[in-house]
Amino acid sequence: MVRSKGYPEALENKLIDRVLYDSDRSPEFTKVVEEISRTIPHMCYQCGTCTASCPSAPRSTYRIRKFVRRVVMGLENEALTDPDLWLCTTCYSCTDRCPRDIAPTDVIMAMRNLAFKRDIIPVNFLKTVQAIYTTGHGVPNNDVNRAARKKLGLEADPPTTHKFPQYIKGIQKILDYYKLKANADRIVKEREG
Amino acid sequence: MENMHEYAFYLGCIAPNRYPGAEAAAIRTSEKLGVKLLPLEGASCCPAPGAFGSIDLNVWMAMAARNLVLAEKMKKDIALVCNGCYKSIWEVNHKLKHNDDLRDRVNEVLKEIDMEYKGTINVYHLAELLYNPEICGVEKIRGSITNPLTGTRIAVHYGCHLMKPRKDRDFSVDAVSKTEAPHWMEEMVEALGAEAVEYRNKMQCCGAGGGVRGYDIVHSLDITNEKLINLKEVGVDALTDICPFCQLQFDRGQIEIQEKFGVSYGLPVLHYCELLGLAQGMSPQELALDLHAINCEPFLAKVL
Ligand code: SF4
Ligand code: SF4
Repeated sequence: MVRSKGYPEALENKLIDRVLYDSDRSPEFTKVVEEISRTIPHMCYQCGTCTASCPSAPRSTYRIRKFVRRVVMGLENEALTDPDLWLCTTCYSCTDRCPRDIAPTDVIMAMRNLAFKRDIIPVNFLKTVQAIYTTGHGVPNNDVNRAARKKLGLEADPPTTHKFPQYIKGIQKILDYYKLKANADRIVKEREG
Repeated sequence: MENMHEYAFYLGCIAPNRYPGAEAAAIRTSEKLGVKLLPLEGASCCPAPGAFGSIDLNVWMAMAARNLVLAEKMKKDIALVCNGCYKSIWEVNHKLKHNDDLRDRVNEVLKEIDMEYKGTINVYHLAELLYNPEICGVEKIRGSITNPLTGTRIAVHYGCHLMKPRKDRDFSVDAVSKTEAPHWMEEMVEALGAEAVEYRNKMQCCGAGGGVRGYDIVHSLDITNEKLINLKEVGVDALTDICPFCQLQFDRGQIEIQEKFGVSYGLPVLHYCELLGLAQGMSPQELALDLHAINCEPFLAKVL
């Protein structure tokens, strides 16, 4: 039987009441998440509308409401090291419905940005970066598709960076400006050798 | 031809590189409807909002801004056919137009490649343009049909990033702004002569976004599978979408669901442009429907 990651065994453990120690809190974390996300998690009153709207919740231990709470409490380590951080599909249903006008999705995105600064990032995200660095496309063309395009009367390569590879330089400069390619290469190599 | 509305056609990745029939159909069908799609030379991936946004929102914005500048140089508004692209291209345009700090930050990077984002163009999804009576409208679509899809039951998958989050969107047509129980795509389907079918939890995500498809494929497919179960409950001949990434998730996803969960649906999944192409008399060959993972024949048998 195929399984998704860590469900249901991990759920009970995750939802258990715990003591909060001041030493685990980073008020700075709350501030930085608010800055990056440009939304207002501190307004959250924990109604749970977000989790109730979330397609990822019923099939995992991922609870968006809990992540919003962690931000408010400044529980940086707990939030950034939880693998559930990567189960948000960014469907924005929670954001559409939050009665406090918070954008929980953008709170997740901000935390993912912070996790990446600590090298916490699934490899598949980095492979998209690598593909775009070399071709300009996250999902590049291939021979089967080229043949099909020609039959349709389209050019074998679309008029993107595929047909005009001279534009790839500019893309590489943007990615290099943020040292994104170098970091992606380094992390992929560390993980996969 | 009278009054063609011209746009820079932003292609993205999955339409041109996996479902080229959707690209061909978009160009040919909209030309019959007074919308001319011009090539946007040198465009790249939007970039993928899930992957890039998660890594660094600043890179996401700078990369999307580069695509926007290409259209600014053409002095054309952008039209596109993918919700994921809409999220990147429309939303970054919107953010940069309204936030000086973000625009300055992006322009500092673009300076390195002799570009400057100015905020001179708008971005639209082609579906939204076709629905808009000021550009095209449902009646004009109906009038362009030579091969009505009569007798077929078709459900709509709206996807997420065109319309959500509602508070960060700004459509001129009111019907497109409704995110809980929208009906405008159903109107577009009925214009083709088909019966548009409602189903449980229609607005649920396909499961692919946010990098989840790559991170935990089983989790991602389980979300897709829930939608397929709901679709099976009402019985449809095809599912239509306005996002090639959703399309990939439903189309190839059904093969993966068969492998991993042991259930099969055989439900053809067509981009609205492909559907419109069929209804305007394009052949399955002209739409490269043979590239689809799920055989479209049972559906085609009803409409050809
Ligand atoms: S819906 Fe909004 S207010 Fe309610 S728990 Fe979620 S983030 Fe907090
Ligand atoms: S955006 Fe993310 S957290 Fe919000 S409902 Fe969708 S999957 Fe859940």
